[in-house]
Amino acid sequence: MEKIKLNVNGEDITVEVEKNWTLLYVLREVLDLTGVKCACNTGDCGACKVILDGQAVNSCLVLAWKAQGKTVETVEGLSKNGKLHPLQQAFIDCGAVQCGYCTPGMLMSAKALLDKNPSPTEDEIKEAIGNNYCRCTGYYKIVEAIQRAAEMMGEANAE
Amino acid sequence: MKDYTVIGKKIPIQDAVLKVTGQFKFTDDLKLPGMLYAQVLFSPVPHARIKSIDTSAAEALPGVRAVATYKNSPRVRYNSTTRLYTQKWIENECIFDDTVRFVGDRVAAVAADSLEIAKKAVRLIKVEYEELPHYVDPLEAMADDAYPIHGNSNIAGKIYQNAGDVEKGFTEADYVFEDTYTTPAVHHGAIETHTAIAHFNARGKLTVISANQNTFGTRVILSRIFGLPLSRIRVINPGMGGAFGGKLEVTVEPIVAELARQTGRPVKLTYNRKESMLSTRTRHAAVITVKTGVKKDGTIVAQDFKVITNTGAYAGSAMNVVGAMSNKIYKTYKIPNMRFTGYPVYTNTPCAGAMRGYGSPQVFFAQQCQLQKIAKALNMDFAELQFKNMVDPDGVDQRTGKPIGNPRPKDCLMRALELQKNWEPLSDEGGKYSIGVGMALGCHGSSTFDAHLDQACIMIKMNEDSSCIMFTGTHEMGQSAITAQMQVVSEILKLPLEMIDVVYSDTDLCGWTVGDFSSRGIYVTLYAAKKAAEAAKAAFLKVAAIMLEEDESNLELSESHVYSKVTDKRVERYRVMDYAQQVLNEDIICSANHHATMTPGSYGVHIARVRIENSTGKVEVTDYIAVQDVGTVINRLGAEGQIEGSVHMGIGYALCEKLEFDAMGKAKTNSFRNYKMLRASEMPKLQMDFIEEYEPTGPFGAKSIAECAIVACAPAIINAICNTLDIEIKDIPYKGK
Repeated sequence: MEKIKLNVNGEDITVEVEKNWTLLYVLREVLDLTGVKCACNTGDCGACKVILDGQAVNSCLVLAWKAQGKTVETVEGLSKNGKLHPLQQAFIDCGAVQCGYCTPGMLMSAKALLDKNPSPTEDEIKEAIGNNYCRCTGYYKIVEAIQRAAEMMGEANAE
Repeated sequence: MKDYTVIGKKIPIQDAVLKVTGQFKFTDDLKLPGMLYAQVLFSPVPHARIKSIDTSAAEALPGVRAVATYKNSPRVRYNSTTRLYTQKWIENECIFDDTVRFVGDRVAAVAADSLEIAKKAVRLIKVEYEELPHYVDPLEAMADDAYPIHGNSNIAGKIYQNAGDVEKGFTEADYVFEDTYTTPAVHHGAIETHTAIAHFNARGKLTVISANQNTFGTRVILSRIFGLPLSRIRVINPGMGGAFGGKLEVTVEPIVAELARQTGRPVKLTYNRKESMLSTRTRHAAVITVKTGVKKDGTIVAQDFKVITNTGAYAGSAMNVVGAMSNKIYKTYKIPNMRFTGYPVYTNTPCAGAMRGYGSPQVFFAQQCQLQKIAKALNMDFAELQFKNMVDPDGVDQRTGKPIGNPRPKDCLMRALELQKNWEPLSDEGGKYSIGVGMALGCHGSSTFDAHLDQACIMIKMNEDSSCIMFTGTHEMGQSAITAQMQVVSEILKLPLEMIDVVYSDTDLCGWTVGDFSSRGIYVTLYAAKKAAEAAKAAFLKVAAIMLEEDESNLELSESHVYSKVTDKRVERYRVMDYAQQVLNEDIICSANHHATMTPGSYGVHIARVRIENSTGKVEVTDYIAVQDVGTVINRLGAEGQIEGSVHMGIGYALCEKLEFDAMGKAKTNSFRNYKMLRASEMPKLQMDFIEEYEPTGPFGAKSIAECAIVACAPAIINAICNTLDIEIKDIPYKGK
């Protein structure tokens, strides 16, 4: 076991990890952040996406010890002081949530995009969620929700 | 249409806020105190007797609490898709057997303190196999001299349906066409894999928390396996990360239950993607021969289907899927002579089971592709041929002469053609691309009525402030059926949605309800919600009538009050509840049942435009139109979502999704890396609409959509490709030249 330091959703934590533990395993099984989902464990579906130092990554492909000293954002950290993030609100309002299993990963891919690019084109949105599988929605309402969130955030910034 | 407050509106799914915050707890998110972790040993060979199995090294590993094999587990044979207590379908699967029948069949399972230990222990189990003849191809498996995988024959059964006189019909035809089509086994692709937690407590009560679409049926199966009364089994579904039929049948549940029995501790088993793909259920691969007789003017006079499905290693849905297929073809066209003969065949490949469409995608692919070919041969517009033969609203099932609801395929067709006018011209970019359009009709039912009893129970319990809790047997899997039921309760009880909460799919708490399949959630269970809400309203107004000394029939509800329509008497709703409890010493708890007395046809006409790169043959679906006949839309967001998800799954079915096996029955596709589903950038521009012409036997005039929406997808796309390249395609997925 090795001790590593992480900042998870704004909180500095120290956690003991085995060499072969993935970040996904540590988040779900050690830190009980079960909003992070596992659906393929091969980096092909995006259900386990978290934002690591600003980049959306598949946490199933990241060894936990390699995240030493880094900042991790998960779906649990999206809403602040009981207020939903515009992406969360837009996902609800647009019907982008059906079964909900891809939702946390989709939200994190979308947030990483909007953090860097506040008004993305439709193609840029599709590219940003290009590694996230959804079997329920055909992605239509997800793309729409990300567009709407970008608009909401743009309006909020303009005020 | 009547002006409703919430019905027909775009209402987000009831648990959306839990899902966007990560608070929704799916089965695999749960941990119980003292919980063990399970791992299964799967067969590496397609068909073999287990000569010897040595579990001693696994048992000796520290942290291992149980190793279950056929030697120490119940050998009760069950059918994994059983629904009713008295139902006996072909039962040839058990938790573990002394014979393995496909690569991926269960050999043993370990429960240990950690998943890591369980994985290690599984590798320590030594098995010697005596291999038996095996079959990957159903056509070989059904030969007379083939070695039987079960019983005496690999043909699990025969389904036969007939209307009129097909042979006579062919003699009356001007032309007869005969073609054979094939469709593949595919993976459901639900993002959540199969998972369950089980616990046996000291009273001998078994609780199973499971991602399962058939909780009451699962309880029946577990009661047979473990010899328990139903009062000693509780099956709970906390909500599923997608199912699409893949979680209808029991898969992991009996294994965790057995490990829980052996250890006396809670046990969790979660399959990884490969295990979910290869050791649960798939869509039935099929070989479909269609023979069609037509008149010169395009009138279809006779149609004969011969279908062979690959049902895999165990019976499960073998008979049901082919049976459902045989029923649905009789709901679409005015063909007087129609025959269906179907054989589900065992092979040494993973079990096929329920999947969205339940037989329809296979049979309609074949029929719709052949009909387009016929229209071409007759030099006739395909839409004209469709229109000439499609059932009218007063159409009947040709076998029985009985009505099939208010079928509106013609309205779908006309609306789809109208929407097509919105398409912008698509450039071939100087000859780089070929472009073409295709169309297809799809049909599905709205309940399990054709197969067995379809019934649902909803209970409503009113609280002191007149808010209420709805208890429903419906399973939450993203399909918005529960949300729709809450809308109905909201509409009838005049309660805002936040005054209604729900308890669902728990066999101890909810009234008996058939599981969530057959697209029955709206047509059947929603009707029970309507009746339960009406009963709760009547009970509530009865109390108010006593309180106000007013005739019940004069009373009506508002959000805050009960008021008289003829006098100025009114009282706050919470005071009515207070009166019921404090003065009458009563509570308001109402339940209602609804059972289907038919299964009306639900229809969809889809039009696809494809662009094919001439140099590579690469196919891209650029534009898509889907018009669905649903009677009434209850939740517009949910209904649209069903079409959008179907288009994703349907394009995959047409162009890229296929579970492939080598000659030894070993999967060539076993992960999301080599099993391709569509990405966001690959989806076409979509136009959709609903025909809302009121189904008289449905709640608020509604019938189904969930499965019907996928049926027309593959043939519409394949017809578009055939038109573009002027070729015939008989096998999907079509991966280009």
